[in-house]
Amino acid sequence: MKRFLFQTLIFILVVLASFAFIASRIDGCADPHYLKFTSPKQKGLILGTSRAAQGLIPSIIKEKTGHHLYNYAFTVVHSPFGPVYYNSTVKKVDPTTKNGLFIVTIDPWSISADRKNPEDANNFREKNLCLANTPEVAMNPNFYYLFNNNSFGKYAKPFLVKDNSVCLDPDGRLEVSLDLGDSAAIASRVKQKEVHYRANMLPTNSFSNLRYEYLLKTIVHLKKYGKVYLVRIPIHPLIMQIEQELMPDFNLRIRKAVETADGYLDLTSLNEVLSYTDGNHLDNISSKKVSEKVGEWISSIQ
Amino acid sequence: MIFNSLDFAIFLPIVFLLYWFVTNKNLWMQNFLIVISSYIFYGWWDWRFLSLMLFSTVLDYACGVALGRNEDKRTRNLILGISLFCNLGLLMFFKYFNFFLDSFEGAFSLFGQEIELGTLNIILPVGISFYTFQTLSYTIDVYRRDLKPTSDFMAFTAYVTFFPQLVAGPIERATHLLPQFYKHRVFDYNKSVDGLRQILWGLFKKVVIADNCAEFANIIFNNSGDYSGSTLVLGAIFFTFQIYGDFSGYSDIAIGTSRLFGFDLMQNFAFPYFSRDIAEFWRRWHISLSTWFRDYLYIPLGGSKGGTWMKVRNTFIIFLVSGFWHGANWTFIAWGALNAIYFLPLLLANKNRQNLGIVAQGRILPSFREFFGILTTFMLTVLAWIFFRADSIGHAFNYIGAIFTNQLFSAPYIVEAESGLHILPKMVILLIILFVFIEWTGREGRYAIEKTFINQPKFFRWGFYYFISMIIFLYGGKSQDFIYFQF
Repeated sequence: MKRFLFQTLIFILVVLASFAFIASRIDGCADPHYLKFTSPKQKGLILGTSRAAQGLIPSIIKEKTGHHLYNYAFTVVHSPFGPVYYNSTVKKVDPTTKNGLFIVTIDPWSISADRKNPEDANNFREKNLCLANTPEVAMNPNFYYLFNNNSFGKYAKPFLVKDNSVCLDPDGRLEVSLDLGDSAAIASRVKQKEVHYRANMLPTNSFSNLRYEYLLKTIVHLKKYGKVYLVRIPIHPLIMQIEQELMPDFNLRIRKAVETADGYLDLTSLNEVLSYTDGNHLDNISSKKVSEKVGEWISSIQ
Repeated sequence: MIFNSLDFAIFLPIVFLLYWFVTNKNLWMQNFLIVISSYIFYGWWDWRFLSLMLFSTVLDYACGVALGRNEDKRTRNLILGISLFCNLGLLMFFKYFNFFLDSFEGAFSLFGQEIELGTLNIILPVGISFYTFQTLSYTIDVYRRDLKPTSDFMAFTAYVTFFPQLVAGPIERATHLLPQFYKHRVFDYNKSVDGLRQILWGLFKKVVIADNCAEFANIIFNNSGDYSGSTLVLGAIFFTFQIYGDFSGYSDIAIGTSRLFGFDLMQNFAFPYFSRDIAEFWRRWHISLSTWFRDYLYIPLGGSKGGTWMKVRNTFIIFLVSGFWHGANWTFIAWGALNAIYFLPLLLANKNRQNLGIVAQGRILPSFREFFGILTTFMLTVLAWIFFRADSIGHAFNYIGAIFTNQLFSAPYIVEAESGLHILPKMVILLIILFVFIEWTGREGRYAIEKTFINQPKFFRWGFYYFISMIIFLYGGKSQDFIYFQF
């Protein structure tokens, strides 16, 4: 028995040590989410979907407000408002925080769900994804994430391929440095996105009261630690049109959230003047402009 | 709790250490620990169904005791009837109730009558088909006097709930497994090392082969209308490896885990994709279920003794029931029927028992005839799996139709969900090739890596296990549920 236990233990330790070495090599370019779960608990957060993940740059907002922020936004599939995102956000906030800053980005999709049953959290897509299956959100290496979200070749990627086009920055912002091509290529991607949203998203989504309740709950919780500001990030006019069809009364619906928060900045008036990678996400130059605007606005009302 | 989870990685060593260091001196305590562990293991999914398992255990234990005390044939028939009625009744209710309602509604609509019976929101208890069949085998064997009824309730409960094989088999016979619970288990180094080796191989099959294949098989089957014939063929092949990796991987982990606790379970898969004909395939695929149906259905129906018509009838019955056992959907019945049709020519020509040995035994490569047989059987199996995987019969026919009418000879590709790019998962294909190679070289063992490098220096052997472990970590696919849990 001793021999068996000793040999088994040695083997497991060697395998785990190799695994830990590989895990330590996973950088922001190998996995768009992993580092969000290895960074420490934070005193300031940016929440939302991929629009915020790519569009709001913590360092620029810090320049204007003096507040440290961490971008804890994921995608519309992973982090619409709901029990999963709420629970993870609660864990990510440093409980000793006082006078923190929290930017919560909102749009119709993040308070919508599958129209078949928008009030049933058991049917929410995010329930099987990384935010749900990673109970520890500030652990390095994060074995929960690594074991539960082992998608094909992810761990081999840092050794085999070095792709720097989509990388997670240390502050949690997802930086997309793809060659966007000429204006015709961008227009084509925007069109594709519009077709996708119109064909696949618009017919299947509707307002979810449950998601909205969790947005309110998130704001109320974060207010214990500081100021909470709501921001609506600009998008391409074609996508905006679809959002208006999905939720024509969006501003009316979020009134209670706006009243609960410390301020609301709707930047969709800038839709026409900014540029996008695909209509849904701001490109890097516009991300900087929008981050500056958000920072300036917060510092002006603080 | 699933085998390829962190929960199980913590659970197993704890139970193992308790078993060999705390309860090792007392048989009753060993069995008691197995029962408690099994209830925790099962309750991890849904504790509400523990009562169902307990009911099944008590019922069949009581039926066994009653059968032991009664010699009167009518009373014995009644006792067996109660066990069959209750066990199969539960199975029917949880698994097939809504299917029968839907089919009933469908049948009425054929005659122009629309009726609305509604359906019940029934959750299928994990593994109910497996443990129901296992407990039934006990009562039937006692009824037939092939087995003495047990008076050891703890041993019987441990037999019914034994966690390694509780939710997806192998479906063990009481005659084989129950006596092992009567004997005090003593730690055996070689058996335990062999168990770990089989667990490792099972994890490789599940995590590397099945989970990776599942990702692409799902994309292709869920969007089959958008793909070329060549991609649809690729999708069917991916599913063929997914289901084998998934189910045989589970069986390997179950058998390996049992060996860690000193138990021997029956072999459930014997390299079925190297079969030279369909009859051989069915002797090598899900052996515990096939032999269950053979012993408790086929033979009682008369088996192959009653002439050609009887043989054909019984073969069809066993394949259709086997299909239906897999799930409440016409697709499974069609899958069973198709396999019966494949089997029929061999049966009628009396050639269904011509390939009993190991293919190309003692040789590196098969003969041309063997290779042709393997290839043909594999292709027929791939075709049948389309019915098994499809959402409906219509979907299966459309899928097969599109294979032959829509660019069968073009280069296959898959549209990646996130980027929209057209890709061919070359690494998955390479891993499948590696997998087939290892399975082929190890086909004379009980599982593929049983004897790999066994006579070589330790360095090679351990290096090989390390290589397999790293592939599991590096190339493991996104975790998917074990397919057979739903059955």
